[in-house]
Amino acid sequence: MRRTRQLLCILLAGVVLAGCGLGGGGDESAQRVTIYTGRTQNLIEPILERFAKETGIDVDVRYGQSSDLALLIDEEGGRTPADVFLSQTPSAVGYLDHKGRLGRLPDDVLSLVPPTARADDGSWVGFSGRKRVLVYNPAKVPAATLPRSVLDMTGPQWKGRVGIAPPNASFQDFVSAMRVKLGDDATSRWLKGMADNDAFTFANNTAIVAAVGRGEIDVGLVNHYYVLQAKAENPSFSALNHDFPSDDLGNLLIVTAASIVKGSKHTEEATALVRYLLQEDAQRYFSDQTYEYPLAAGVAPSSALPPMSFDQVEGVDFDRLGGDLESTRALIRAAGLEG
Amino acid sequence: MAIAELATATPVIPALPKGPAAPRPPLFLRVTALATALLFAAPVGYVLWRALGLGADVGQLVDEIGPPLWRTVQLAVLTSTTTALLGTGLAWLLVRTDLPGRSVLRGLAPLPLVFPSFVGAAAFIAGLAPGGALRGALELVGVDAPARFRGLGPSWLVLTLFTYPYVYLPVAARLRALPPSWEESARLLGDTPRRLFGRVILPHLRRAILGGGLLVFLYSLSEFGAVQLLGFDTLTRVIYATRLVDRAQSFGAASVLLVLAVVVVLAERRMAGASLAVGRSADRQNRPVALGRWRWPALAGVVAVLFVGLVVPLLSLGQWALRGLTAGNGPGANLADELGSLRLPAFATAQLGLGAGVLTVVAVFPSAYLCARYRSRLAGIVSAAVLGGFAMPGLVIALSLVFWSLNVPGFDRFYQSVPLLLAAYVVHFGSQAMRATELAVAAVPDRLRESARLLGASPMRRATSLEAPLMRPGLLAAVGLVLLATVKELPATLLLAPTRVDTLSTRLWKSFEEGFLAEAGLASLALVAVSGLLTWLLVLRRAHHLA
Repeated sequence: MRRTRQLLCILLAGVVLAGCGLGGGGDESAQRVTIYTGRTQNLIEPILERFAKETGIDVDVRYGQSSDLALLIDEEGGRTPADVFLSQTPSAVGYLDHKGRLGRLPDDVLSLVPPTARADDGSWVGFSGRKRVLVYNPAKVPAATLPRSVLDMTGPQWKGRVGIAPPNASFQDFVSAMRVKLGDDATSRWLKGMADNDAFTFANNTAIVAAVGRGEIDVGLVNHYYVLQAKAENPSFSALNHDFPSDDLGNLLIVTAASIVKGSKHTEEATALVRYLLQEDAQRYFSDQTYEYPLAAGVAPSSALPPMSFDQVEGVDFDRLGGDLESTRALIRAAGLEG
Repeated sequence: MAIAELATATPVIPALPKGPAAPRPPLFLRVTALATALLFAAPVGYVLWRALGLGADVGQLVDEIGPPLWRTVQLAVLTSTTTALLGTGLAWLLVRTDLPGRSVLRGLAPLPLVFPSFVGAAAFIAGLAPGGALRGALELVGVDAPARFRGLGPSWLVLTLFTYPYVYLPVAARLRALPPSWEESARLLGDTPRRLFGRVILPHLRRAILGGGLLVFLYSLSEFGAVQLLGFDTLTRVIYATRLVDRAQSFGAASVLLVLAVVVVLAERRMAGASLAVGRSADRQNRPVALGRWRWPALAGVVAVLFVGLVVPLLSLGQWALRGLTAGNGPGANLADELGSLRLPAFATAQLGLGAGVLTVVAVFPSAYLCARYRSRLAGIVSAAVLGGFAMPGLVIALSLVFWSLNVPGFDRFYQSVPLLLAAYVVHFGSQAMRATELAVAAVPDRLRESARLLGASPMRRATSLEAPLMRPGLLAAVGLVLLATVKELPATLLLAPTRVDTLSTRLWKSFEEGFLAEAGLASLALVAVSGLLTWLLVLRRAHHLA
């Protein structure tokens, strides 16, 4: 009993110390930038650390889901500590832009990327790209039978075999792109076709890739780099990427976006960071380390990826979709696919 | 019947609801309890304010949430029912029978509670995949594992396995506290163990079962991560899916969840009745019920539950970690580096958990005191305010705290600091501490307090030398329960922790989110180890104080 009491005293002392230790604030006068990022730590931290080291600017990072962080910035309003918001998807920056929470990036930063990879009003700029692919289990699907177009996935040969992730932002961006390219009616028909074809719905890309690897479903519509990641950890993982032809909608490139939060007190540092992400070094990092498609500085994609330059991709101007995610979601729901 | 009467007549446990100790709670207590209830109701205020302010479209709301709401209710009812059965059954087998190996099993039985539910679900799915532990075990007994593991059934199973300790812990404690004289009398009067259980023991477990079942019910309402992975579409999915594109809808759905939670809390309070009678008879051990030929089948059942709830997830997590270490070249390939990088998060996790545990018990104490010692309308309101918070998804709690701390003058300097994060934990998990704290308060018998008063002990002396020592074990158990919930918490931690403060659960999420399973496996194992150790220190060793 006495020993327990001692132990508890030590633990409680630890708590008090925690209160002091964890609460340690920084030096306000120093050069610093606070980043809210929907890109997860593994994907972005190394490059942020490199930026801090090279520029001497202190970097404070808050990680979370892009949507949650967008809600947080909106709720914080004028008092947000965030200077920079890095989003996994154009929709979360689109939401904040719509709410008037984003500042404007300088033209010389915006012009580093092709026009389709940035907001027309200059509120955000894309800094890397993920490609949509069809992940398949080679044990269940012979390569010769793989579809030519994502629009073929509603055919009877795919009944009950396809996984999709309607709640996932990338899937919603893909549907938005389809609306731009083919119109709402054709998009509705495709979504209904998927629902009638007993497509399996999953929470996100990782869940689909895992299910394909297990053989639970045969194919799934996801972003390209999850399979590469799964195979790096587990070489016997039974899944491969199938790329749709470059002119197909299924081959869409979805950008990750950087933006400066309106009212930031560290605009200079924030701009320096966004510019840094678009320099050759950083672009090469995204290409080689996270297997993403570089968008700037003439950097070529990693040799592990099917070659593709941004100009080749069917460019979809995500900017036009920013405020209209609600209609996209309504279409998905109306088709009977919950999202 | 004779035995039941005999039992209720024993002086050790006043079994029937007693009248109030005082007709009306003192003003000071009423004011403090009401003030803390207000703190707990802060998220409720925020949700209603937003839902009304954004003008949720009731027609659209009804149209969209009908089916998910029905699924949520199904899941919550099924899960709380099965956890009540499973938790009670396990508790009886492990506490009151001669089951072989019961002392070891007693220590293991509450541990499934330490898994964050999304990790549990993912580990379970992996366990059923080809090469997974669960599939292998099923094949051994000649059963083919299902090709898919999703929908109501699997969600029900997974939630049951990871939440039954909410029932098991209080029921086991209550069983341990029941006096052995009853069983002896029953035996002398020739009653069978089954009759004894149904007529004498069960009525005394009612409150513990209901209280635990209520926590499971509320937990199922707020659950998102696991059901999402298991492809079961509930009301929390509506809250999450609409959070950006249709905020009115999102807050409307959250309001519905809240109303449901309050109704259930009040219903449980009514069903549980007034009896909070607690008796202890620590001096004498009960003679265990002989299971006879049921010994081995019963043991097999208990082991099967623990295998599925504890061993299967651990094996899956271990497999992920091992795969990263042996085959991989990605993150998670270097064990020493990985473990080193988990050291600081592990400390932060333990510290935040203990801090939240202590603060939560302090915060609910006035409310618990009021609810345990007085029957008043106020007690019902306070109880609903404290317990309702458990039904809200963590994201909603976090956003409400953002709102309040930035909009109440003077509080903005605590924004994204440790105190605010702790406040979020207190509000979210007050429910877990509430029942255990009520029971701690009730552990001081009225007779003793009365005697002390008559003997002329000053209020201060009564508090330090009578009340505090008797309450302490129960209060520590309450700290432990909150701690367990805190170390797994994710959304509030991500949004409200100071930057650069990493916990094991945030580390786990960051790896899991992008499919870095090796790292996620290691972080999960660390989380299980830390919370297992702390649980053992705080809860298990004093589990008998929970009833």
